[in-house]
Amino acid sequence: MAKPPLRKPKKKVCMFCKEKVSYVDYKDTSLLRRFISDRGKIRARRVTGNCTQHQRDIATAVKNSREMALLPYTSTAR
Amino acid sequence: MRKYELMVILDPDLDERTIAPSLDQFLTVVRSGGGTVDKVDLWGKRRLQYEIKKKADGFYAVIELAAEPAVVKELDRQLNLNEAVLRTKVIRPEKR
Repeated sequence: MAKPPLRKPKKKVCMFCKEKVSYVDYKDTSLLRRFISDRGKIRARRVTGNCTQHQRDIATAVKNSREMALLPYTSTAR
Repeated sequence: MRKYELMVILDPDLDERTIAPSLDQFLTVVRSGGGTVDKVDLWGKRRLQYEIKKKADGFYAVIELAAEPAVVKELDRQLNLNEAVLRTKVIRPEKR
């Protein structure tokens, strides 16, 4: 039984920390769309590679955005 | 005085020319309450991601203002009483 080659996952750097963003705007839907799946769900941190604090900022921004119908709660389009 | 950002979604069936005056009428509360309206940004008609009150689009407006908390609360209350307003959101941008 051959062992699968161990692949060290590349450590992702939070793109908000890199760009020193202090406020994630809920109106910027094109930015927020990168952090939701095509079903409209918020992508997990292990997928996006964001830091704890910025992931939380994104989550609240997405939720605010959803309330104002800028982003979908669900999208059935597959 | 605190800075606020107010987003309003208005009924899409309204006449586009009446939007600015009617918004201005709402904002008189702020002015008479000692606050200032810094910026009014009309986004125009936009498709909603889901229906609100059976409507597929809405007029978006973003207003930046500075006022006392009680004044903003009153403004939000009056907006929600109005039939032409589909949804409102008040946010304090710099508070974290």
